[in-house]
Amino acid sequence: MRPVTLLVVAALIVLPWIDPDKFALHILSLIAIASIAAMGLQVLLGYSGQLSIGQAAFYGIGAYTSALLTAKLAVPFPLALIGAGAAAAIASLLMVPITRLTGAYLAVATLGFSIIVYLFIQNEEWLTGGSYGFIGIPRAELFGYVLRDAMSSYYLNVGVAAIVYFTFARIEGSRFGRAINAIRQDADAARASGIGVTLLKSECFVIAAFVAGLAGSLYAHEVRYLAPNDFTFWKSIELLIMVVIGGVGSLAGAILGAAVVVGLPEYLRAIGDYRMLVFGAILIATMLFGEGGLAALFATLGRRVAAVSMRSASKLPPGNEAAR
Amino acid sequence: MSTTAEDGAWLLEARSVSRRFGGLLAVDGVDLAVRRGSVHGLIGPNGAGKTTLLNLVAGVYRVSSGMLRFGARDITQHSTAKRARAGIRRTFQNLKLFGEMSALENVAIGLHAQMRAGFFDAVLSTPRHRREERSIRGQSMAVLHFVGLAGLAHVRAGALAYGHRRLLEIARAIVARPTLLLLDEPAAGLNVTEAAHVSDLIARIRHDGTTVILVEHHMDVVMRVCDEITVLNYGRRLAHGTPGQIQEDPGVIEAYLGRSGENQSAQA
Amino acid sequence: MGALSVSQFVDLMVGGLAVGCVYSLIALGFAMIMRATNIIHFAQGEVMMLGCMCGLTSLWLLPVLPLLAVVAVGMASSGIIAVAMELAVYRTLRRRRVPIMNLITATVGMSILCINAARIIWGSEPLRFPELFATTAYEFGGVRVSPQLFWIMVMGVAIMAALQLFLKHTRTGLAMQAMAQDAEAAQLMGANLTRMMAYTFAISGMMAGAAGIMLGSMFFAFFEMGFITGLKGFVAATLGGLGSITGAMLGGILFGLIETFSTVFLSSAYKDGIGMILLIAILLVFPSGLVGLWQKRR
Repeated sequence: MRPVTLLVVAALIVLPWIDPDKFALHILSLIAIASIAAMGLQVLLGYSGQLSIGQAAFYGIGAYTSALLTAKLAVPFPLALIGAGAAAAIASLLMVPITRLTGAYLAVATLGFSIIVYLFIQNEEWLTGGSYGFIGIPRAELFGYVLRDAMSSYYLNVGVAAIVYFTFARIEGSRFGRAINAIRQDADAARASGIGVTLLKSECFVIAAFVAGLAGSLYAHEVRYLAPNDFTFWKSIELLIMVVIGGVGSLAGAILGAAVVVGLPEYLRAIGDYRMLVFGAILIATMLFGEGGLAALFATLGRRVAAVSMRSASKLPPGNEAAR
Repeated sequence: MSTTAEDGAWLLEARSVSRRFGGLLAVDGVDLAVRRGSVHGLIGPNGAGKTTLLNLVAGVYRVSSGMLRFGARDITQHSTAKRARAGIRRTFQNLKLFGEMSALENVAIGLHAQMRAGFFDAVLSTPRHRREERSIRGQSMAVLHFVGLAGLAHVRAGALAYGHRRLLEIARAIVARPTLLLLDEPAAGLNVTEAAHVSDLIARIRHDGTTVILVEHHMDVVMRVCDEITVLNYGRRLAHGTPGQIQEDPGVIEAYLGRSGENQSAQA
Repeated sequence: MGALSVSQFVDLMVGGLAVGCVYSLIALGFAMIMRATNIIHFAQGEVMMLGCMCGLTSLWLLPVLPLLAVVAVGMASSGIIAVAMELAVYRTLRRRRVPIMNLITATVGMSILCINAARIIWGSEPLRFPELFATTAYEFGGVRVSPQLFWIMVMGVAIMAALQLFLKHTRTGLAMQAMAQDAEAAQLMGANLTRMMAYTFAISGMMAGAAGIMLGSMFFAFFEMGFITGLKGFVAATLGGLGSITGAMLGGILFGLIETFSTVFLSSAYKDGIGMILLIAILLVFPSGLVGLWQKRR
C-alpha cells in the first residue's frame, strides 16, 4: 500500500477520537456514502467509458429496498445491505440491452431508465410512501449492536467505502481492468482481439449498480427518511459532477469529488442556493481547462513536492536538473 | 475454383462475396482461396476494395452476398469477436492501438480471449489471476522480442514512433498465435529499411505456421514475401497467381499503370 | 375503455397535434445540431426554457405586446443564448478535439447552469402566461377547436415551412446543409465554418424559443420545464431519425399524438414514462428511426 494511502486510512480511523463533533462525523458519513456511488460511476465512466446519468435509479432502489426489508420485514441490517445491492444489481440487468449503445445515446437511455424508476418510486405510494416519504427506517444494527451515535455510523460508512475502494483498486492491472480500459479507448480494436464488448460493458453496469445500491442502503439508515426527490435526475448529475471534478479515471478522485460536492456546501453556507449553479460552472470549466480534475491536481502537486524534497535531499542547488 | 480434393489445403475461402454500401458495390462477387501456411497478397489500385474485402473476412462488415469458410466452418454470420476467438486476428490500416496503455499492455489485450480470470479473480487475487498474469507477461514479452520492441515494453503506446506503433499492432495480433493473420497495409508510411524489417517479420510469422493475408501497396514487400497474390480492381478479382505471374500479367499492368505501361515500376 | 365520442377524439387529436408541433420544433433543434456537430445538445431544452422565460418577462414589462411580438422576443432570446453557448464553450472544445465524452459532459454542465440560473432569476414557482389568445372556441364545420391550440399549430407549421424554405432555397441555408454533410468540402467551397455553426445554433435556438412560448402559454413556465420536454423533443427526433430534418418534424407530431392518446389508457402519472420507454425501444430496435425504416424499404 502506498504511504499516502496508509496515512489517509490511519487519519480516518483516528479522526473521531480527535474531534468527535457529531455534525462533522455525520457529514463525513454522507461523503463516504456518496463516494461509494461515485466510485461505482467511476468504474462505468472512467474505466469502461460509459456515461451513465441514471445511477440515481440504483441508489434509490437500494435505499427503498433496504428500508422495506428492515422496517417492514424485520430483516437484519447486514442482509438488508446486501439485499439492497442485489436488488439494484438485478434491476440493472434490465439495462443490459442498452449497453450495446455508446456515447450520448447510452447516456440518454440511462436517463430514460432512471426517470421510469423515479416515476415508479413517486407513484407507488403503497410501497414507497410516494411523495409523503418513507419514515420510520430503523437504525443500522450490526450483530445485535445498534449504531446509535454519529461515531459508530461513521465507522460503518467509512468502512464500507474503504472496502469498495480497495476492491476497485484491484481492477487495474488485471485482465478485467485492461479489457474495459481497452473498450473505453477503442471498442472495435477490442472486438478484433476477441473481447466480448457488450458482456463486459454489462458487467460494469451491474457492478456500478450493486455499489450504488449499497450506498442507497447506507443512506437510508443514516438519514432514516426517504423521499422521491432524493432520487431524481439531479442525484445522477451530482454523481457525475463528483467523478468529473475529482478526475475521470481516478478512484481517489471520486472520493475527493464526493467530499467537494457533499462537504463544501455544508461549510460554505453562502453557497447554499447557488450550489448547483457553481457545480455546473465547474463542470464546464473542468472540461475546458483541465481534465484530470482534483486527482490530477493533487498528483501534480505531489510530484512537485517530491521533486523539491529530492533536490534538497541530494543537496543539489536548484536548476541543476541536467546533473541528474 | 477450389477443388474439393484439396479442401483441406485451403484455410480460408471466400465464395462470390459482395458488399454493397448504398449505391456503391465495393466488392463484387470476389472469390478468394488462401492456402494454409502461405502468405497471400491482396493488391490493387486505390479504391479497388482490398480493405473492404479484408474487413469482410474479419467480420467488421457482413457480406451482402456470398459465403466465407474458415477451416471447416462457415463463418459468414459470425461476429468479429467470435472470429477473433476462432483464430483470425488482424491489424488496421489506420492503427488502432490503445494509446494510453503501455506496449506490453497492448499486447496483453491480444491474449484476453485465451484467459479466463474475471472481476472476482482480480479482486480476490485468486491463483488463477496470478497464474494468468504471469503467463500473459511472459508471452507478451516474448512477442515484443520477436518483433523487436522488447526495450519499449513499458512505454505508452501513444508515445511510440510511428514505425514502432506498426510493429506493436502486429505484436498484439500475433501474441495469441492466430491461425490466420490479416495485415492491412502494415508497411504504410514506412521507409525502405523499416519496410524490409516488416517483410522479414512476415516471413518469420509464416515460418511459425501462421497463414497470412496481406493487403499492401509497397510492392517490394509484396513481391518479396507473398506466395500467391490476388489482384482486385473496381471490386472485382482481376488476376491471381504467383508474384512472377502477376508482374507479367498485362491486365494488372494496365490497371496500375495505364495503357502506356512499359514502366516496370511495379517490380521489386 | 369504451368508445371515444367524436368531440373527445377531436380534443385529443388537436391537443396531440399542438403539443406535437412543440416537440417538432425542439426536435428540429436536436436534429440540426446533431447533423452539424454529432453531439446531443443536452442543453437544448434549457434553451427553450430560457426563451419562454424571456418572452414571459417581456410580457410583464410590456403587457400590451401582441402574440407575434412575444414569440419574436422568445425566438430572438433563445437564438442569442444558443449562439452564446456555442461561441463561448462548444467551439473551443471542438477546436481542441477533446474526446466526445467531454463535449457531452460540457453540454450537461451547460444544462445545469441554465436551470439553476433560471431558478435564481425567476424563482421556483410555476408562472402563468397571461391570456394571449381569444377564449371562445373556433368552429369548423361543427367541430370546436380551442383558438390557442389552433394558432399554436398554425405557427408551428408556418415556422417549420419557413425553415424548409430557408434550408433549401437560400445560399446560407444550402451552405449549412453542405457543412452538415461534409465540413471540409464546404470550407473549400468558401463557406465560413464558424459562421455556419453559429447560424446552426442560432436557428435551433430560435425554433426552441418559439416552442417555449407555445408550451408556456399552453401550460406554464418554470425553471425545470426544459428538462423533461427537452428529453421528449429528443425522443421525437430519435423517433423520426436523428439527423433528419424531415424526420424531426414527423417524429414530433407523431410523438405528440402518441403521448396524448396514451392518457386514454394510462394513468397520467406515468405519462412521462411513455416517452422514456419509447426512447429506449427506438434506440434498441430501430435506431435510425422512421426515416431509416423508410429508406430500408427501397
